[in-house]
Amino acid sequence: MTAEGETAPLRHVAHWKLYLLIAVLVFVVIFVLALNIGYTPISFGTIAKILGKQLGMREILHGTILRAIGDPFPFVGNLIDYSGIRQTTRTIILQIRLPRVICGALVGTALATAGVIYQGIFRNPMADPYVIGAMSGASLGSALVIVLGVGIDILGVNTLQVFAFAGSLATVFFVYTISKSGSRVPVTLLLLTGIAVTYFQSAIVTFLQVIASDKLHGLVFWLIGSLAPTENWTRVGSIIPFIVVGVIIVYFYSRDLNILALGEDQAQYLGVEIEKVKRILIACGALLTAAAVSVSGLIGFVGLIIPHLTRVVIGPDHRFLLPTAAIVGSSFLMICDAVARVVMGSGEAPVGVITAFTGGPFFIYLLRRRKKGYYV
Amino acid sequence: MVHLDIEGIDCSYGSVNVLNDVTFEVNSGEFLGILGPNGSGKTTLLKSISRVLEPLKGTIFLDSSNIYEMKSVDVAKQMAVVPQSAPMSFDFTTLEVVLMGRHPHMPSRFKMESKEDVAVAKRSMELTNTWKFADRPVTELSGGERQRVIIARALTQEPQVLLLDEPTTHLDIGNQLEIMDLIKDLCETKKLLIVAVFHDFNLAARYCDSIILLKKGKIVAAGKADETLTSENIKEVFGVDTLIKRHPVTGSLHVIPISRPRNHKQKTLVVHLICGGGTGSPVMKALTDEGYNVTAGVLNLLDTDQETAQLLKIATTNEAPFSPITDEAYNVNMQMIHKANVVVVTPTQFGDGNIRNLDAAETALKEGIPTVLLENGPISDRDFTRGRATNFLAKLKEEGAVTVKNICELLQFLEELETKNNSVSH
Repeated sequence: MTAEGETAPLRHVAHWKLYLLIAVLVFVVIFVLALNIGYTPISFGTIAKILGKQLGMREILHGTILRAIGDPFPFVGNLIDYSGIRQTTRTIILQIRLPRVICGALVGTALATAGVIYQGIFRNPMADPYVIGAMSGASLGSALVIVLGVGIDILGVNTLQVFAFAGSLATVFFVYTISKSGSRVPVTLLLLTGIAVTYFQSAIVTFLQVIASDKLHGLVFWLIGSLAPTENWTRVGSIIPFIVVGVIIVYFYSRDLNILALGEDQAQYLGVEIEKVKRILIACGALLTAAAVSVSGLIGFVGLIIPHLTRVVIGPDHRFLLPTAAIVGSSFLMICDAVARVVMGSGEAPVGVITAFTGGPFFIYLLRRRKKGYYV
Repeated sequence: MVHLDIEGIDCSYGSVNVLNDVTFEVNSGEFLGILGPNGSGKTTLLKSISRVLEPLKGTIFLDSSNIYEMKSVDVAKQMAVVPQSAPMSFDFTTLEVVLMGRHPHMPSRFKMESKEDVAVAKRSMELTNTWKFADRPVTELSGGERQRVIIARALTQEPQVLLLDEPTTHLDIGNQLEIMDLIKDLCETKKLLIVAVFHDFNLAARYCDSIILLKKGKIVAAGKADETLTSENIKEVFGVDTLIKRHPVTGSLHVIPISRPRNHKQKTLVVHLICGGGTGSPVMKALTDEGYNVTAGVLNLLDTDQETAQLLKIATTNEAPFSPITDEAYNVNMQMIHKANVVVVTPTQFGDGNIRNLDAAETALKEGIPTVLLENGPISDRDFTRGRATNFLAKLKEEGAVTVKNICELLQFLEELETKNNSVSH
């Protein structure tokens, strides 16, 4: 035991590198698979050629961010014979499936990361990204837009997205502010306030559903969550900054999150400025969640089960947990979305249904398998 | 060298005032114990020193800096806290939890713990006997093991000040002493400044250099253990009667609490005890609790029974320590016996020094005062008078002394006597 103990601190470091490698490989496989799956069959070879060609072309995508990357692989591009591939196929891959798959990856990353943050801060296995009002705020914002029929594009950004984003952020901010007691924000109070506000806003959303009449279908579809609206590069561009910034800042505080997960008094004793760290982490969680729901609606379960699943495999150290959960979350959502696209034949199932449908039973299996030593 | 200076702090939870103008100071190498009943504010005091609960008034200085104006991480570099219990909701391994103690010493947010950090953690885990479960999840440890892990984490902070809130409450006696010995040792060798909350007087008396007694948020007594842990102070703070003795081996103070008497009706009988060597103490306690008037003698000063009598405010006839009963003491004792309604002889040892007490008992019996012999074994075991005491006791029985086997039977006998006595006097 003692002899093994010598390497004990490196246990997670060593295992983590392996797990991370596996996670990245799985991510790549699923990424390609997600481009392949769809109503129009496109072979892997064609996908590889199109993607390879694009890596070598400056005018890759008339989207936003990626253009700045420039032309790192000109020779690869030149070597690929592009001629046999039809323009429609190229459009399907580059303008429809690719932005959607990338959005799925981003949303999955955001939700899984936010889930890890909230479960850590609240020391509560039930916590998910929606726990302190992010969900009801986004639903209220988007329900208003849908029911009032003011869903229009302004400068390429949809008002629905803006309202969902703003509603989500504003609600979390509101919950945080009214949970303040003196200079502190007790997490129990935060949770309970979050629940109360969620119920309140959900009541309004339900009322809006009742009066929605012909707009009900669109509203319900949004509430369940779907990546269908993300088939354009503007959507990717509109959320990528928030998600990248959020994920990086959170990672910066991963050691504090470890200590915070053991309790606030203990964190205080170890020199963590708990209120400041909590504020930053909650802000990041809110930002990630708001960005995710603004493009995809309320996709459930990713933010709840992915953190658990990853923690079971690689342990609770947030320095490893955060990046791994992000990759696992994005892979999970990409594959669920691919299934959602084809499972109903010509139509499309909301991805939120797929995540909950597959996630629920799997989660129960996980809990049954590992009852002890997980959460006490 | 480090100096902790608490200057006139007031603390409250909402409108409830918990601490009131508390002032004291501690230096490196000192071990200060805080004692007080539940709700006296001892944990609150520790919380305010550890920056969890800012006092409404007053200041806490670590050396010359106000700790509430220092950065969290700078305080954590110098001060570690061991709470009463630490919940663990994630299955971090024991080593990972202990390594968190390095947090204040790790300025970079991205670096993993270095070999040196691990070495520090290992050292403190070996001291606390926790290295053997370094890679087990903390959630699988027992309460006592977990507490040792928390102490290891505190030591991994390499602090100069260690605050402990009833650190050994969840530990068995062996672990308690081991951990306290370790902390005491760190205090002496590494000159750690230690402030610990206790609820066990004897643990406090054994390890603390000085003690503060808190009652309702105020300091009632402060100073060296010998000066503060007196029967009077403990009675005032905790409202219990105690016997203060020296530990037979360590020589530290040993506090023996005596439960509060139930409120029995005062009885009319006067009971005189012939006792000694501690055999009379439980009888004294039982009889005073029942409301009897008790006297005792002859007792040598410093005898356990004599000390108990003093504590229970029982009148005694005394003789100098380790001296045989003189005529004078004998006569004073006889006067006392004459005022009594019944004489009780406890199963004490008889030697040439106190054999005259049996003579007194016989006299009393002859004069018509009922005499009870409390016996719990053969007399020969406690007869050091070459048979004289045995003869005396046999004679007493012949002459009508009643024998009872235990205090229960004694109380029954006295109860009957009390009733008879009362009906006669009416």
